[in-house]
Amino acid sequence: MRLPPQANELIDRSREVVFSFEGKPVRAFAGDTIGSALFASGRRVFSRSFKYHRRRGLLCCSGACPNCMLTVDGTPNVRSCVEPAHDGATVEAQNVLGSLDHDLLSIVDKVGRPFTPVGFYYRTMIRPRRLWPLYETFLRNVAGLGRVDKRRGRTTRYDAENRSVDVLVIGGGRSGLAAARAAAADGDRVLLVDENARSFGEEPFEVVAPACALGIYEGGLVPVAAGRLLLRVRAGRIVVATGAVEQPLVFPGNDLVGVMLPDGARRLIRDFALKPGERAVLIAADDRALSVTEDLERAGVEVAATVDLREHDPTDIFAEGRRGLLRAVSIDGVGHDCDLLLAAGAPQPAYSLLAQAGAQISYDADRGIFVPGGLPAGVEAAGRVAGEVGPLLPTRACHGDGGFVCICEDVAVKDMKRALAEGFDSIELAKRYTTVTMGPCQGRLCQRSSIRIYAREQGTDEAAIGTTTARPPWTPVTLGLLAGRTHEPARLTAIHHRHVEAGADVIWTGAWRRPHSYGDAPAEARNVHETVGVIDVSTLGKLLVVGPDAVEFLERLYPNRYSDLKPGRVRYGVLSTDAGRIMDDGTVARLDDDRFYVTTTSTGADSVLGWFEWWNAVWRLDVEIVNLTGALAAVNVAGPQARDVLAGLTRADVSAEGFRYLDAREGAVAGVPCLMLRIGFVGELGYELHFASPYGEYLWDVLRDRGARPFGLEAQRILRLEKQHIIVGQDTDSESNILDANMQWIAKLDKDDFVGKWALEQAQERGPRELLVGFEMANGTVPAEGSQIVRDGGPSGRVTSSRWSEQVGKAIGLAWLPPDLAEEDATFEIRVNGRLEQARVRLRPFFDPAGDRLKS
Amino acid sequence: MNGLAFLSPGAARAEDGFAPRPASPLQRALEGSTGLRDLSLLGKVELRGGEAPDDVEAIRITPHRVLLLCEPERCAELLETTSGLAIDLTGALAGIELEGEVLMRRLTDLDLTRLPAAGKVAGVQAVVTSSGGGRYRIFFAQEVGHSVVEAVRDLQEGLA
Amino acid sequence: MSFLLTCPNCGARDVNEFAYAGEVTRRPRTAPSFRELTDYLYFRRNVAGVQREWWQHRFGCEAWFLADRDTRTNEVLGVEVPGAAGADVAAV
Repeated sequence: MRLPPQANELIDRSREVVFSFEGKPVRAFAGDTIGSALFASGRRVFSRSFKYHRRRGLLCCSGACPNCMLTVDGTPNVRSCVEPAHDGATVEAQNVLGSLDHDLLSIVDKVGRPFTPVGFYYRTMIRPRRLWPLYETFLRNVAGLGRVDKRRGRTTRYDAENRSVDVLVIGGGRSGLAAARAAAADGDRVLLVDENARSFGEEPFEVVAPACALGIYEGGLVPVAAGRLLLRVRAGRIVVATGAVEQPLVFPGNDLVGVMLPDGARRLIRDFALKPGERAVLIAADDRALSVTEDLERAGVEVAATVDLREHDPTDIFAEGRRGLLRAVSIDGVGHDCDLLLAAGAPQPAYSLLAQAGAQISYDADRGIFVPGGLPAGVEAAGRVAGEVGPLLPTRACHGDGGFVCICEDVAVKDMKRALAEGFDSIELAKRYTTVTMGPCQGRLCQRSSIRIYAREQGTDEAAIGTTTARPPWTPVTLGLLAGRTHEPARLTAIHHRHVEAGADVIWTGAWRRPHSYGDAPAEARNVHETVGVIDVSTLGKLLVVGPDAVEFLERLYPNRYSDLKPGRVRYGVLSTDAGRIMDDGTVARLDDDRFYVTTTSTGADSVLGWFEWWNAVWRLDVEIVNLTGALAAVNVAGPQARDVLAGLTRADVSAEGFRYLDAREGAVAGVPCLMLRIGFVGELGYELHFASPYGEYLWDVLRDRGARPFGLEAQRILRLEKQHIIVGQDTDSESNILDANMQWIAKLDKDDFVGKWALEQAQERGPRELLVGFEMANGTVPAEGSQIVRDGGPSGRVTSSRWSEQVGKAIGLAWLPPDLAEEDATFEIRVNGRLEQARVRLRPFFDPAGDRLKS
Repeated sequence: MNGLAFLSPGAARAEDGFAPRPASPLQRALEGSTGLRDLSLLGKVELRGGEAPDDVEAIRITPHRVLLLCEPERCAELLETTSGLAIDLTGALAGIELEGEVLMRRLTDLDLTRLPAAGKVAGVQAVVTSSGGGRYRIFFAQEVGHSVVEAVRDLQEGLA
Repeated sequence: MSFLLTCPNCGARDVNEFAYAGEVTRRPRTAPSFRELTDYLYFRRNVAGVQREWWQHRFGCEAWFLADRDTRTNEVLGVEVPGAAGADVAAV
């Protein structure tokens, strides 16, 4: 089967490669593709078509059509005509029941065709509905492409790499190379990509091949699929030199094995030294295709007839075969025996990438091709894709009454006529109804024919029909390549590893990893009430607000008043949006006249920082906002023994009189300078220590050594609930405002203006729709958070937080209630597991309502 | 800046029997790695509105803000003597030095011919400088340090 | 979305390095009526054309700036740092 050595053949006859096909060994040369090797071994049938399981053979030999698709080493839908053959590869047919040569499903073609016209699934298999799963399973097993091995997909590694170049050239043919060389000579950084695995000589620019550009996106971004590497290329200039594609002619029998595109035969001969057939007929419409005669003669193929469609455009072409293989073709009644029919219409510029970039595609009626124009800035077309394809004349849209328009999806001419008859008269509708151009070739081989046939059937011209919208990816691509490597940027505190070492149950809160508990949350909470506990609160947002306008800045932003906050004092604050909704809460400590230290919730830190920075971009006050969230670690030491522990670690005065509740002090603790805030989220005597994060583990170890027992988020939740301290986002939502959330005292409406003031004033006038209150359960059942409050048979509020409190001996919680129910001692009902349970409103903290423990 | 001693890792003192030990946030993540140098304990000072001294490496972020890199012992002096607002970010920022332009191009889409720059690296906000010879220094928030090093090591595997 | 946005400090970068804060609005100067407040809070001009809007270089220098972007094409016609006293932006 092999011809004598050809001038530029790609095979290396001195090296052998062996792979298996359907379990049997196939011998090939290094440089062969799987397709060429199989062809050399005598194989002519390479696949069975998508819907009708018709025999299909090599057509384009360039990776555009679906005919040669096989499963290689478990990867489905591999274009074997361009896939390099490698030692030990396992190659199998796909979409067959049985074998390629004896596919039991070909019964669909012989008997089933009347039942499966275009869009049959819109008319059949509708009733009974309970059989839909069965219909779906049946169809999926009977039609389609290859099968994906779901386990394998996860073990393949794909990477992504960024490139920034002055010029990206897509296509390494004559025009692409010329453009790349010219740009390089001008001193530009040039990258050239080509979808073929060709070798290029020494060039003064970078070449990546095989590599396929997937699309042209905004900002000159072109993702390029290069095997297992995705190149994200940013280019100042993009030169599209993707060439022109020979188009299959449409006529009865045009999908028989042995019908090929002229360029496909040329590649078999020149690249792989293979004789494509014994006796050939050539029908073509341009000089380049017609010149394949020379290659045929050199290969010893008898050329029975040649037709130049520009001189003679036949009305009828009819190809006849046996068992799917071509035997003869008749042209306007004149018959020729042949086993090879090279048939192509005028080469069609491959304009898809240009169309994606915004080019206007128009029909050149004088030549019968679509050409791109109106290119946006930064995008150029070079060579055949720009329409430089030699002298052409328009030819017929189809040659005869029948044949396939879309080889990929088995869409025949009569399917397109039927779609039109059913009213799908625009090409966009025709595409969606028939699925023409939606297969692996993505319209490369069939879009023009489909448009021309539609124009002919409607008695209009191609310009009126237009083209369908070109979208990426231009070539099929695996999802794995697009996904690349996934890295989840978790945020860890400086003390994180101590929690892991202590066996903590670590959970996600936002992007942070935090300990939920160390195994026994109720015991951790009990410990805070009885002795002393310590919790890692390094995740708190921390902002320094400093400058002559610092007070003014805070006064404008917060509903609170801060102008009267003395240096050395800290105050709880709630941020409000201009719509009066609660955005975040935290503390503000005054370090100095114009120096404030602000804390925020852990998950709100990023947005509060952005909020602060944005308002100052608007106001342009003389203030600096510095994000110290990661700079500082923070721990809360809480419990009756907290003072004793701290006293043993610092020279600072931590006596009750020297360091009062809501004081802010600086001092060294165990040699580490700290900002100490005496605040009380968890309801016991407590000190929040903020210090440089490199000392996180050190200080944690010291505190533990002195008897402070770690407690986690769950214990903290129980403790704060006993004090009815809210958690923004848990007890409040995007509608809640300060007045309704039981914090009326925070909003200083006598201030001139602050963000949210007007909305709060108007809300106050309207009166609340609902109020946030504490409650306790009558019988100790803990209602799930989110449970409905039921009144007169309908929903009337919801539970936002709930826990069993060992300290209080009751099931407690917070809930939103209608104002008339939100009174001390009022009872209401909560739906819990389908039953209504009794609850009672408690407006004061459940534990230590006077705050004596906190302020001791 | 004065009066923010609790911000400066360099202000800790061995006293009263205590011996504070600072730890790098990248120490565990870098165990067993090759070709990566830990820069987390390097001195870093952000200067706003002031003049950077001539003998200190300075990376300008905006017309108003500049990041100074120095030996950790020098931070205290810089905080005292520079004009404007000086903030000790030694503990705030972790850093690594790595080698390889291709590795960098898999970590970031920053233009590597236009360094130093502040931009996105391994999905996080970072400051990148070139140390010459295909080596790069990257600084990022210490709390995401572990993730950045994990990403770098994963991409190194892909290039092995 | 992959267009390039030019940060006034850092130069042209992928738009995903930035945070977007919507079109520039005008905050009422005196206590507004319910309708005026609702307008300011919830209604936008939402033009199909050039829109003046806020962006922040969140993953870079963190500066807030203004951009004029054609919402139909994502072409950014210009960027600028807000002028002194916030001349034509929302002001309290």
